[in-house]
Amino acid sequence: MSATVTFWLLGAFALAGAAAVVFSRDALRLVVGLGAFLLAVAGLYLYYGMGFLAAAQVFVYVGGVLVLVLFALLLLSRDGRGRLLAPGGFDLAAAAVAAGMAAVLALTLRDFRPPGAQAAQADLGATLLGPMLPAFELLGVLLLAALVATLVIVGGGERK
Amino acid sequence: MTGMPVTLLSAALFGLGLYGTLTRRDLVAVLACVEIMLGAASLQLVAFARAANALGNGEALALVLVVLAAAEAAVGLGLVLATVKRTGKSRVEELTEVSG
Amino acid sequence: MTALAAQPWLAVAVPLAVALLVVVAGRALGAGVAWLAMVAPASLLATGIALLGGPHSGNALSIPWLVQGDTSIRVGVLGDGLAALMLVVVGVVALMVMMFSIGYMADDPGYTRYFALLALFSAAMAGLVLAADLVALLVAWELVGACSYLLIGFWYRKPSAAAAAIKAFLVTHVGDAGMLLGIALFFVATGDVSLAGLRSAPAALGTGLTTVVALLLLLGAIGKSAQFPLHFWLPDAMEGPTPVSALIHAATMVAAGVFLIARLEPLFQASATASGVVLAVGAFTALMAATIAIAQSDIKKVLAYSTISQLGFMFAALGVGAWQAAIFHLVTHASFKALLFLGAGSVIHGTGSQELSDMGGLAKKMPLTAVTWIAGALALAGIPPLAGFFSKDVVVAAVLRGSPLAGLTLLLASLLTAFYIARATRLAFFGTYRGVAHPHESRWMMTGPLTVLAVGAVFLGAAGPAIERLLLTEPEPIELGVAVVAVLLAVAGGVFAWWRYAGGPVPAEAAPVGLWAALKGGYGYDGAIRRWVVRPVMAFAGGAYELGDRATVDGAAEGIGRLARRLGGLLALLQNGDAQWYAALIGAATVLLVAAALWAGR
Repeated sequence: MSATVTFWLLGAFALAGAAAVVFSRDALRLVVGLGAFLLAVAGLYLYYGMGFLAAAQVFVYVGGVLVLVLFALLLLSRDGRGRLLAPGGFDLAAAAVAAGMAAVLALTLRDFRPPGAQAAQADLGATLLGPMLPAFELLGVLLLAALVATLVIVGGGERK
Repeated sequence: MTGMPVTLLSAALFGLGLYGTLTRRDLVAVLACVEIMLGAASLQLVAFARAANALGNGEALALVLVVLAAAEAAVGLGLVLATVKRTGKSRVEELTEVSG
Repeated sequence: MTALAAQPWLAVAVPLAVALLVVVAGRALGAGVAWLAMVAPASLLATGIALLGGPHSGNALSIPWLVQGDTSIRVGVLGDGLAALMLVVVGVVALMVMMFSIGYMADDPGYTRYFALLALFSAAMAGLVLAADLVALLVAWELVGACSYLLIGFWYRKPSAAAAAIKAFLVTHVGDAGMLLGIALFFVATGDVSLAGLRSAPAALGTGLTTVVALLLLLGAIGKSAQFPLHFWLPDAMEGPTPVSALIHAATMVAAGVFLIARLEPLFQASATASGVVLAVGAFTALMAATIAIAQSDIKKVLAYSTISQLGFMFAALGVGAWQAAIFHLVTHASFKALLFLGAGSVIHGTGSQELSDMGGLAKKMPLTAVTWIAGALALAGIPPLAGFFSKDVVVAAVLRGSPLAGLTLLLASLLTAFYIARATRLAFFGTYRGVAHPHESRWMMTGPLTVLAVGAVFLGAAGPAIERLLLTEPEPIELGVAVVAVLLAVAGGVFAWWRYAGGPVPAEAAPVGLWAALKGGYGYDGAIRRWVVRPVMAFAGGAYELGDRATVDGAAEGIGRLARRLGGLLALLQNGDAQWYAALIGAATVLLVAAALWAGR
């Protein structure tokens, strides 16, 4: 019972954070909302018994991405100028699309039962360096590429 | 254990993120909304892994998503910075150069 | 040689390659391109000679083509005696014509194009005579027609040449349309288009269908060989260079109709109606064209109508089933008519005019041309012992046996033949010179081929028995009665013309009235065609254009265009450059598709 309560508490927390990101007018409130959402999701990971993932989520997202977003917002912040959201008609249409997407997702995944694990492996390290080694290596390449790309994109503008 | 609750939650989170992505007019905010969609997706993934008793696989997949998201955020924010530097615009409605 | 006999398709492939090579290397080779082009007819000649020595039937190559399910058309090469003979004829004439052209076309800016087309024509003609089935034959047949079109319109800046080319193409294609239908009908009825299966075809087709197919195919032959009622393109075709007229419009292509009917002989044999039509068309055309030829003032027009008339002789022979006689006459005719055309070319080259009234007395100024021309003229008139005498005798005797009326018609036509050729000879080569230019004998490049062809015109008659044996029939002895009558008529016609034109052109002919005007104008056939066929067709086409094209098709097309613009305008609204708008569209589409999948998968 308490498990379900924990789940819903964390879920509500995540929803609230997401709503803040989507609707807030203030840049700092957006960052706080995003942080709340990320932490809530990390909590849900823990709830599902994936401690390492939760820790990674906290480190990478909260420590990395969130700080990046914060920097970017502070660098570029011009809040209060222009409209927060798209014009009315489009706003409603986007809401419809989003609601439709949520409904479709819920309907699709509701009855989905993942196939039972053939070789239940609880050891994350063994999985990453075993069957998922190619993906793991590719991730390394991706990170490197992203790093170089960011440098080129940002630095390139300066040189021009 | 799986099924309705977490699916509803992740679907709702995804829809919320999608709505924000579609309507927020600030580039950084749009990126933040994309992060929410990614989070919703990996939440669902983890839930499935739990249900299938395949903890290692699910966790590894989610980890992949985390790294992907980090890379995406870095490149995305870099693009935003470069765009702003070059055009002075950080709002979506101003960036319509591909208009048909 | 034996290699060539085993691979007769080389006679098609080599000229084709030569034609390409001439086009590619033409500029680099300059005037030498003609010698390269002459490889093309030489390969025909070599293949023909090799096949003459080899087995005359058999060695057929056959490749399935256009395979549709279990139906296919077999395309192949058939190197029998008839094909070998035709290859030799085409090869020799084409070789002589090319050599002659080196001098004749020397200053023409289209020199390379000219020789490329002649090489291509050689390839097409080889394909035509070697074809082992009706489809390959039709392909070569049309290619030959295309070469003819391109060569008639060779001086395409001249409006009359361009018009003549179009006329020739259109008129022959009236016949070709019938031929295509005939082949299609034949294929539908028998499931086979090979010439080898032709002998058993009439039984499978039944008498009625055999007649229909034969008549449709005959239509193609009539168009190509300029027989009545599709004869009127050939005189206009004289707009092309004269050597072309010699090769295509006298010796080879126009004889393709005769060749076709000879090839289809089992089909015509099986249908008395079709044979009767061939005989009637041939005899009528022979006489009609001969009467027109006597009144022409243009030396090439005389020869053009003479060609139509002589082809009529061959058709008449085909109509009574004497196809070997027709082919014999085809061979001798190719020799002496090509000679006469090249002689006319030499004369035109020397005097700069085609009008007989501008010539006269050329025998003194162009002796070699005159001597060879006279040999050709005597052969055409059928004076023994020249080639034309033998072949015409065989033809007339055979036709007389089959149908006395047609035979008498041909005898009358021979009388007229002697008259018109004697008239042309007298006006061009004897009397006093009436032109303004200073004619001179042509160079050896042009007189050489004349000499070679003259030898053929004189001696080919002796080859008659050999040719008939090659075509698998027993040679017939000369029918003395027929021969004597024919020769007497020819001499009478010739002498009368000689006497009448002793003092140069008859003044009354310059401004013709009455019958002579009708003859000179070809009985007003062109005008009648224009009035009764071309104009109604044009009126119908105009109406169809207004109603069918402007109102319906254009209306629909423009309507669709306008609709597309409107839709495009609507679609352009979607492309407003707003990335979020695009993302929303992607999202909406995803929702719709997944919803559809969910609904479908319930």
